[in-house]
Amino acid sequence: MATHAVARETVFALRREIAKLEGRLPEQLGPLACPGEATVLRRSGNVLRAGVLATGVEGLDRKLGGGLPKAALTEIHGAETRHAGAVAGFALALASLILKASAKGLPLLWVGTSEIFHEAGHPYAPGLARDFGIAPEALLFSEAPKLLDALWVAEEAARLPALSAVFLELRGNPEKLDLTATRRLHHRAQQAGRPVFLIRQAAEAEPTAAPVRLVVAPGLAAPRLTLAGPLSGSIGAPAFKVSVSRSPTALSGAFVVEWNSHELSFRERPQNTRHLVSLSWPGEDLATASGSILAFPPVADAAAPGAQPSRREHAAHRSSRRAS
Amino acid sequence: MLSHRDENTQRIAALDEQAEALKLKPGLGLADARARYPSIDVVEGEPEADRRLLEALADWCDRYTPLVAIDGKDGLLLDITGCAHLFRGEEVLREDILLRLSDQGFDARPGLASTPGAAWAAARMGLPPVAAGEEATALANLPLAALRIDPATRISLESVGLRTIGSILAAPRAPLVRRFGAELILRLDQALGRVEEAITPRLPVASLSAERHFPEPISRTEDVERLVPMLAASLKEDLERRGEGARRLQLALFRVDSAVSRISVGTSRPVREPNLISRLFRERFAVLGNTIDAGYGFDLARLAVLSTAQFEDTQTDLAGSATDLAEDLALFADRIRARLGEHALTRPVLRESHIPEEAFYNLAFAEAASPKTIEMEERPPERFTPSERPIRLFTPAEPIEVTAVEVPEGPPLRFGWRRAVHHVIYSEGPERIAPEWWRDSKAAPIRDYFRIEDEQGRRYWLFREGLYGASEISPRWFMQGLFA
Repeated sequence: MATHAVARETVFALRREIAKLEGRLPEQLGPLACPGEATVLRRSGNVLRAGVLATGVEGLDRKLGGGLPKAALTEIHGAETRHAGAVAGFALALASLILKASAKGLPLLWVGTSEIFHEAGHPYAPGLARDFGIAPEALLFSEAPKLLDALWVAEEAARLPALSAVFLELRGNPEKLDLTATRRLHHRAQQAGRPVFLIRQAAEAEPTAAPVRLVVAPGLAAPRLTLAGPLSGSIGAPAFKVSVSRSPTALSGAFVVEWNSHELSFRERPQNTRHLVSLSWPGEDLATASGSILAFPPVADAAAPGAQPSRREHAAHRSSRRAS
Repeated sequence: MLSHRDENTQRIAALDEQAEALKLKPGLGLADARARYPSIDVVEGEPEADRRLLEALADWCDRYTPLVAIDGKDGLLLDITGCAHLFRGEEVLREDILLRLSDQGFDARPGLASTPGAAWAAARMGLPPVAAGEEATALANLPLAALRIDPATRISLESVGLRTIGSILAAPRAPLVRRFGAELILRLDQALGRVEEAITPRLPVASLSAERHFPEPISRTEDVERLVPMLAASLKEDLERRGEGARRLQLALFRVDSAVSRISVGTSRPVREPNLISRLFRERFAVLGNTIDAGYGFDLARLAVLSTAQFEDTQTDLAGSATDLAEDLALFADRIRARLGEHALTRPVLRESHIPEEAFYNLAFAEAASPKTIEMEERPPERFTPSERPIRLFTPAEPIEVTAVEVPEGPPLRFGWRRAVHHVIYSEGPERIAPEWWRDSKAAPIRDYFRIEDEQGRRYWLFREGLYGASEISPRWFMQGLFA
């Protein structure tokens, strides 16, 4: 390690230099050679290490550079308000992973405008407890009448270490939520050493300070598994189509992940679960690579090990449809 | 001149000086008065507005003593026990009240005595201040109207020749009580101080307060903001001595022209630190902004502690950095509450109910922080219910249009919700939730819930209210929630 120390010193100096040129914080630049040490926080003399949160989906973690940054602003987008269930569900699943990892039992604050709580439904505590293991005692809701109030509450909450995570849910592309506002949220999240999730329903991607942006859409659920095999026609574990639209590694990718509400963990959708049973649905099952909204051009990485091939390449039984 | 309607006649209720000079009297019929002086200007009286004015004046008098009571339709009763020395004596205090009231255009008649009854008489009969113990001599020559007795008793007393208070004092008491009731003697004893009489203050009396007078009125919000920590600092010592912290604080700003603004904040746990208190008030000011009308400026500010709770002292370490996370959270909650209202930060509490929208409610954080508010009967049910529940709920459920159903009692095939048609691919259900007859006697229809997945994988929770063919009304469909 002694020989490496000098080399790492040089690397850090270079990173600082790059960060200065780009006008960003060094932590935002991307993962170091040693994952888990991307962000080092110092507060009142103690060094707090808030590394990354591994989602458990190998491909997704690699695209994010080891996992979701724990002390940062993370944007989670949904294309339509109708997707609110899946988008919020994915964010809650991440929060559930955080709560599982830290045994401190700090509450989760969910800030939203009255508009979004009316349009997309108010968070329902019994469902959250059942699907994500988040107890009602560990939940705080703040319904703000106006966008500016919601932003104020979120900004005040973002610097509070007494919360395990902060959700800010907004609809559309409001002007007030600009680069400055998100940078403030991001900076405070870094200071407090815990994540702030910016959930944006029916929003277009636009420049923000968040190092990670994920676009989430609902995915068709696999059938329930019984002892006698998959139960035809049933709706099993919730599935999400997640595409990485912005990440510290500048890699993009799309995944279908399932949430296991018993083990509170993600897993990548194994191939051909549903369609051995039923072919009766129309339409796509994978999100199209969303090139137009990417901050960086998608990197062709089909050859990368572990990357998920598109289902069309695999499902032999669907060859007739592919021809159409 | 003001008039009022009394027994189907317009009568004079009050007069100004010019009308008084014409020898008109209150109670005179308006027709008679017009006949004598056709040019008089009559305005219909507004008792409601008069009462509001009197209340505003009572609020303003709060600057002299916290114990202010409204007395009848035209009087204010101030208990200045222990307050007079703050204004350098009773005489100076009386002069100060008169001067400030006359500046505002009020013609006030003061009465100063050591019992409410004697002060009442002194004010109405125009006596000089009555010293303690001299009530009997001061009141002896006054007519019976100076006692607060009803007119019928007064007239019958006068008819037997008892016209002054002195004559009643001299008369034997037993026959008087027998003939005129106990009220007469009670009022007499109250006036003379033989019977204690408590006045009922209009506003609750704060247990602690700190105030500051300004020779030059202040009007800028920044000045007021800077004032709060100063006042709070002087409260801190008293709170420490009592071992208490404030749960509810009120800042009263007395405007020069007798308007009072009251701004209150609540806390979820007792506080006594001046900087915390001033932070809460800063949030209030941020919201109120320009709605606090400073007018010609405030000349008195008072910070009162309306309710307190026991303050638990905690030991900090030597570096003084033992920050309590729960305390941070409580302060954060208080600031949100100060700015956005009581229910801006809530915590869900589960309730035992089968109806989905009844199964939880949002409790304000301040109430949730103190565990006693959660009643025993609302004990949270078991956390993991066997059936699927959505993560977002629409309350009330939104009506949807179901255009095709597979079988009459089955799930829908297509439905329209928010101007879009959704095709159902998979469905689970029904889960039947019957109305809770033990809660409400109204017979609500049965609900059959379906878990639905559409062609894009969006998962919904729908229900059908009622059954097909059960009654004349065909069943209706609703969107209840969204699944993950």
